[in-house]
Amino acid sequence: MIKTNLKFSGVKGLENAILLSIVLFLFNLIFPLHDVFMLAIIHEGIVFLTIYFLYNYLNQSLTNKLDAPLSLVLNIGILGALLFFILSIANSAYEADINGKISFNFFNSLLSILLIFLFIASIVYIFTSFRELFYLRQKKDPSTYFNTMLVFFALSFFSSILMQVEPSLDYPYSAFFVVTIILISLNSIRVAWIAFLTKKQKYYLLGLSIVLSVVFSLSFSLVFHSEIVRQMIYAFSPGLHTVFSLVMIYGAIYFGVIFFVTLFHLPTAEAFDRKAQEVASMMDITKLITQVFDFKELADTITSMTTQACNSDSAWLVTNSKNGIELNSVHKIGYVDANDVSNRLLGSGDASFEQIEVIDYDSLFRDKKFIEHHFHSVAVAPLKMHGKINGYLFTARTKGNAFDTEDRKSLQAFAYYAAVALENAMLIKESIEKERLEKELDVARDIQRKILPAVVPSTPQLAISALFVPAFEVGGDYYDFFELDEDNLGFVVADVSGKGISAAFIMAEVKGIFESLSKIVQKPSELLTKVNEVLKGNLEKKNFVTAVYGVINKKNGKMYLSRAGHTPIVICSEGIVERVQPAGIGLGLDFTNSFSNSLKEMEIQLKNNDIVVCYSDGIPEAKNSLGEDFGYDKFEKIISDNCSKSLDEISTLVMRELSLFSKDHPQHDDITLVLFKWKQKQ
Amino acid sequence: MAEFNVNLRGVGAVSVIDVKGYLDAHTAPELENVFNRLLDQKQYQVVVNFDDLKYISSAGLGVFMAYVETMRENEGDIKFSNMKENVYNIFDLLGFPILYEFFKEENEAIKKFCDSSKF
Repeated sequence: MIKTNLKFSGVKGLENAILLSIVLFLFNLIFPLHDVFMLAIIHEGIVFLTIYFLYNYLNQSLTNKLDAPLSLVLNIGILGALLFFILSIANSAYEADINGKISFNFFNSLLSILLIFLFIASIVYIFTSFRELFYLRQKKDPSTYFNTMLVFFALSFFSSILMQVEPSLDYPYSAFFVVTIILISLNSIRVAWIAFLTKKQKYYLLGLSIVLSVVFSLSFSLVFHSEIVRQMIYAFSPGLHTVFSLVMIYGAIYFGVIFFVTLFHLPTAEAFDRKAQEVASMMDITKLITQVFDFKELADTITSMTTQACNSDSAWLVTNSKNGIELNSVHKIGYVDANDVSNRLLGSGDASFEQIEVIDYDSLFRDKKFIEHHFHSVAVAPLKMHGKINGYLFTARTKGNAFDTEDRKSLQAFAYYAAVALENAMLIKESIEKERLEKELDVARDIQRKILPAVVPSTPQLAISALFVPAFEVGGDYYDFFELDEDNLGFVVADVSGKGISAAFIMAEVKGIFESLSKIVQKPSELLTKVNEVLKGNLEKKNFVTAVYGVINKKNGKMYLSRAGHTPIVICSEGIVERVQPAGIGLGLDFTNSFSNSLKEMEIQLKNNDIVVCYSDGIPEAKNSLGEDFGYDKFEKIISDNCSKSLDEISTLVMRELSLFSKDHPQHDDITLVLFKWKQKQ
Repeated sequence: MAEFNVNLRGVGAVSVIDVKGYLDAHTAPELENVFNRLLDQKQYQVVVNFDDLKYISSAGLGVFMAYVETMRENEGDIKFSNMKENVYNIFDLLGFPILYEFFKEENEAIKKFCDSSKF
């Protein structure tokens, strides 16, 4: 309640404080001596209100300095020293002039009022600073204790007037004064903020507090015992004198407590610093993970932070890769040494550390002191993600103690972050790779589309239908027609092994070869042999091309066919299908005579309504959800059942059956279907 | 994802590769690794046992084509055994039986190597 009131009235704290100061100033000019009781009471009231409003104002403006307790302490110190300085000068001036008569001329009273104002401002500032320090780093709200003390400050203030009026009534004053000192002592114990200072700051505070404690004690004794000071302040306002003394006592006690607490905190200061640094590093690294996607950069940060947090000399990070382990980042150790040590600890990738382990390097490798870095203790933590070890974080000390539990914990934390970062980096790399692959597939599809003929060269006697359905991954299917002369039409259906852009490029190459050779060589078997010869040296060992090449005479329906490892040709005559498979090995499988020796050529005389079907293995090898093949038989049955229908209808039916069969399975290879139908001239 | 497994074992001087599952463009590199290892060890007599192979794609066939030349240049070979009919049909269609030796049983293929090395 009191606190909220203070806050409320604090809004206009400065105006109120200034107003009251002016009133106080005028009051003192008009009535330099307040020997009348009523005047004294009013004066005390004004003094009290001035202090109160000033306190409220400072209360607000000081809360901004909460993060820097040391600067608050320093400010208190400067003001405390200033007060002490003024008090001692006043004191010595008095002692020099032992018979000093205190005359109340105008100048003197003006000077003393200004001094009084300085005192009021200083003690209020000091007191408010104490209050800020009191509330600093408190988990629970301790305002009750502080406000109780405030009440007793007020009580002491007013009881001193009472004593002035009736000197025999000094016991309430003494009682309040003593209780206030007890409360001050109790409140001085709340110095939790000291723990959060760094070691350096603690040393600084230790020195400062002992000096300040002495300064405040001396000031107190001056205020309380020095005659001139007593006269100056006490004559002005007994309440102010009381508050002045109390604040000086507060300072002496508070800094005394701070001195001892800081002293006791010193031994743990280093550990506290380390913990604080660890927390800060963790925060940094968390931030980094969300902002930096470059794994190398993250790894560098992690290793350098590991050395700091674990108080070690070196750190390095390795990840598991296909060829054993890969060194990603080193900190204060050479690549060669880090590689050497990790290889020795991990073996050739066989050994693994499921959890953090500290290795007594000295005893393990006592005999092998040939590397530059000789370690005393090495700790290794696995980078685990989803139960799988992706790498290791190492840290090592050249001397000193082995890594303890605390070191392990921080190493573990860093290893965890490294694992997350690694996972992130991998996922990003994968998605970039995927994007690249998709772009590549687009290019491949583009090449394929441009290579395939736009129209089919149908004639009244020879109906032709061609259907091509690319797979997502883009296979290497290719078909083409060549007008050889007036009578003869050459055609090819081919399939390049492999997928994607490499297959698309080979396909483009194959198209060029077929196009140019078909003009020169008429005989299909000879042409395929020539194609194979050209492909020698132009094809990688593992690639091959299967093809069917044929020539149809558009006048008489005579057809010559050769097959190089391609799927058999289906010929449907009067509803009966025949699988035609002339011998021949795939292009690019063999570049010796075996190829031409094995290659056979067939001559077929087409009859009216005969259908010739060339296709790629995308049809018989189409899979259903059980992994079964569509097969040749099913395919051939569709053709025989529908041989009276138009070619376009037949290919539509084939596609429908195929999509029904493999409805739950993505098409994994291109589908090419080229149909010819011979109409005998009546 | 279709699974693929490859296992290498030695029977005398002959290396036997057991292939299992689906051999396609995605799994072919595993088989390539085994062949690379054989080349490193200068093992040129290889029998591939197809007993457990369910499917082979053109990329799978390409692996054998890529290595057979080196094997033959070093007085070795790649021979195939225990092939299921559907897998054999794929090899057959391409004309592999003209260029490679196929055996019903693994030991026949091994025996062939032993017989030829006696001369």
